[in-house]
Order: sequence, then C-alpha cells, then structure tokens
Amino acid sequence: MKTVGLSLDQAPQLSIPASFFLTMPVGVLLAGYILLKTGIAPLLSPWMPHAVALTHAGTVGVLAMGMIGALYQMIPVVAGSPVPFTRIAHIVHLLLITGLAGFVWRLLGGPVFAMSVSIFCFGVALPAFLLPLGWALLRGPTNDVTVQGMRVAVVSLVVILLIGLFMAMGFAGGEFSANRTLWMQVHLTLALLGWVGGLIMAVSWQVIPMFYLAPTVSKKAKQQLLILLLAGLVLPLIVALTGIGFDGFFTGQRLTAIAALPGALVIWLLHPALILRGLMHRQRKRSDASLLFWQAGLGIGLLVMPLAMAAQLLPDPRWQVLFGWLVIWGWAATIMHGMLSRIVPFLVWFHRYSARVGLEIVPSMRSLLPQKRIKIGLFLHLSSVLLGVLAICFQANWLAQLTGLFLVATALSMASMLIYVLRYR
Amino acid sequence: MYSSLSEILSLTAEKRPEFKDLRNLEAPEPMERILSAGAQLGPEDVYLAHLPHTPFPLFPLLEKRGLDWQIHEEEDGSVLIMIRVSS
Repeated sequence: MKTVGLSLDQAPQLSIPASFFLTMPVGVLLAGYILLKTGIAPLLSPWMPHAVALTHAGTVGVLAMGMIGALYQMIPVVAGSPVPFTRIAHIVHLLLITGLAGFVWRLLGGPVFAMSVSIFCFGVALPAFLLPLGWALLRGPTNDVTVQGMRVAVVSLVVILLIGLFMAMGFAGGEFSANRTLWMQVHLTLALLGWVGGLIMAVSWQVIPMFYLAPTVSKKAKQQLLILLLAGLVLPLIVALTGIGFDGFFTGQRLTAIAALPGALVIWLLHPALILRGLMHRQRKRSDASLLFWQAGLGIGLLVMPLAMAAQLLPDPRWQVLFGWLVIWGWAATIMHGMLSRIVPFLVWFHRYSARVGLEIVPSMRSLLPQKRIKIGLFLHLSSVLLGVLAICFQANWLAQLTGLFLVATALSMASMLIYVLRYR
Repeated sequence: MYSSLSEILSLTAEKRPEFKDLRNLEAPEPMERILSAGAQLGPEDVYLAHLPHTPFPLFPLLEKRGLDWQIHEEEDGSVLIMIRVSS
C-alpha cells in the first residue's frame, strides 16, 4: 500500500503513434501488390525470396508499425514514464519505411544496393527506437506484469533484428556463415512468440479490461505465463548458440522448435483461451465491432498451435506457408486491426476533447468512428484470410491474386477508417 | 475538511466518506466522470473515486485545471484518487 504523487505530462503528440498507424495500410497494400504481381509464387514455399518479401511486408509493414506506434503511446501511460526525445520517432518511422522498401525491392529482383540501404536503415532504426523506449521502460515507477511483458517484447525485437540484419547480408553481396535454417527458426520463434506474442499478450492485459470490461487474468497467472514465455524464448537461443543437433529427427532446427514449445503454448493456447473466456464473461455486454476482431484473431490463434506442429512434422511445404499466413495475417494482424479501431478513436478523443470535458459538450469516443466502417474492415480482412488459406491449399494462381485484391481492399478500408477518425473535428 | 488522502484512509470504515466506484466503466468514461466532477468542485470540496488502475494521462489534465490530486494504490492494482482545487 502506498501513496503516490506524480506530476507528468505523459502522452506523446498524436502525430507520433498516428504516423506509424497510418503506415499499416501501406504495408497491407504492399502485401496485396506482391500477390497481385507474383501470383502464387510467394505461397509455394516459405523460403523463396518472394515469400520472404511478402512475410516482411506483413511483419514490418503492418505488425511492427502498429506495435512500435503503440509502444510510443502506451509506455508513458502504462509505465508512467514519458519516452525522451520523442521526435526521434519520426526518424525511426522514416528509416523503417525506407528499410522495408529496400528489402522488398531487392527480394523482388531489385539491385543489391537496395538491401545494403535496407540493412543500414534497420541498423540505425534499432538504437534510435530502442534507447529512448528502453530508458522509459526501465525507469518508470510502475513495474507491473504489463510493463514486464513489454520489456520481453522489446528485448526480443533487438535479438530478431540483429539476427535478421546478419541474415540479410546474404542478399546484399555478403555471406551469412552460420546455419541459415537454424537461425531462421530462432528468428521466427523470437519474432512471433517474443516480439509479436509478448506484446499482444501484455497489451491485452491492459486494454481488454479497460475497453471491454472483461475480467482480468490474475496477477499470478500473468506472471506464470510470462515465465513460461521467457523459457520458450531463451531455450531456443541456447540450443542454437550451443549448436546442439543430431542426424535424423532431432536436427538443430527441430530441437529449437521443441525448445520453443512453452512459449508457443502460452501465446497460441493459454493466452487466447484465457482472454476469450474473459470476453465471454464481460460485465457489460455492449456490441462492439472491434471486439469481433479480437475474438476472430484469438480464435485463429488457437488454430496456430496445431498448424505450427504440422509445419514442423509434415513434409509438405504448404503447412509451413499456411502456418505463416495464419499467424501473421490471421492471428496477429487481425488483432492489431481491431486494436486500431478502438485505440485510435480513444487517442483522438483524448488529444482533442479530453481537456474540454466538463467545461463544454464534447463528442463521445464512440461517436468518432461509426461501427459500420469497422465491420467493413472486418469483413474484408477475414475474407482475405480465408482466400489466402484457399490459395495455399489449392496452389491456384487466380486465388492468390484474388487474395491480393482483397488485401488491397482491406488496406483501403483501413486507411479510410484511420483518416476518418484522425480528421474528426 | 480533509487535508490528504492518507487522512481519509486512516478513518474507520464508518467515518470514511464514500468513494465513487468507477472501476466498472469502459475507458474513457472514468476520465470523463472525474473531469466533469472536477469542474464542479468548490474550494472546500473533495472528490473521491475508485479506479481500476493508475490514470497517468489524467494527471496533466487535472493540473492544467488547477486541481490537486493524490492517489493510493491498492493491493489489487486498483487506485483510490482524491481531487480538490489547488490551494
């Protein structure tokens, strides 16, 4: 029990998270363009350059943009510590866009220097993002499990970016001398479970009770989930660094995947199950389209676990592609699309109207974004997920291009939703 | 009149003034309620509320309106807040 007295001007300018959020539809558009241009090629095998380009349009262009924007916004609010030098965020934003453009250009047949530019941009963006945010995360007065989960996510990001930068050198005329398949597995594990999963979990502990009045997961359960997740992140790193691996079934890559099992169980089984159960027991069951995104994304998350096992154990590469498609666009991006539709109206309301509450009549947060717009985005998003699944299963060029078309439509809907709210006066 | 939140918390349950329970409201409703109540406070008034978590973004808004605030974190992470006009 303690009495706290703080005096903080916490929130960053709206333009900082907004610029990252507004880039998310551009990432979706890029993914749609890749599928429209190359057809089924990126959906044949996860290791082809086109597939790597499509994957990073999703992970960097959509997920990382949303997550980094959210971190700039949420760390001051959740940890109670403002992020210093927030204007650097605009440089980080620019570096990430340039880095992604160079990366995708090279993988779609562009010149070698495009990858060199990309490596430079990501390499500079990492400390420019990490140092101010890390400082705020470490010195904040609050040390609850949400903050701890954010720390796990940010540390995972550092490791995956370092591994990614070394691997990208192979596309920039250099060489990646270590076992590429093994380190790809580590890169994937830490990216999906630590960075994306860790942050989704930590943020959900904060926003689900706050926006949907669902019962919170107990503090003890949160701590246990975090410990299990940490085990699932550290063990694969240890396996990879020590080079343990055998001929036959227990190759280094497979042992790395097995070592990640505790983390996978947390992120794709326990966390979705606990949150979905909480959402079923909401105190005030108010209709909300953003909640449907959460339910759909978490439901898809439950499908990811068996798919991850199929991708490891079955020889058909379609399992790996299906796993990648559903984990990035079906699980993580669906949840983030839903979060956008709730958090952006909240931010706009907070920045434009909260200072006038009680002094004059101000619009309610809910009136800032009509539910119909959110539902259109949901329909397009989930349709593209389903079409992608069909394209992967049937390996049909036209289905892949139709998926691309729906991704473009989703991007336009997402952009229109964001612009509508951000321009609301 | 109460001089601090600690003074209120030191009172027995029967003597302690009521805290408005805002824990079961969706964001940003607790903030709206507090800001609206704060706008009505007289020099001798205090407003007391129970919130689901520490409302960091609220503090600068209160300060800009010339309102003092004190919080007390409960074991379960919820927060008691006292607001009054700055002296």
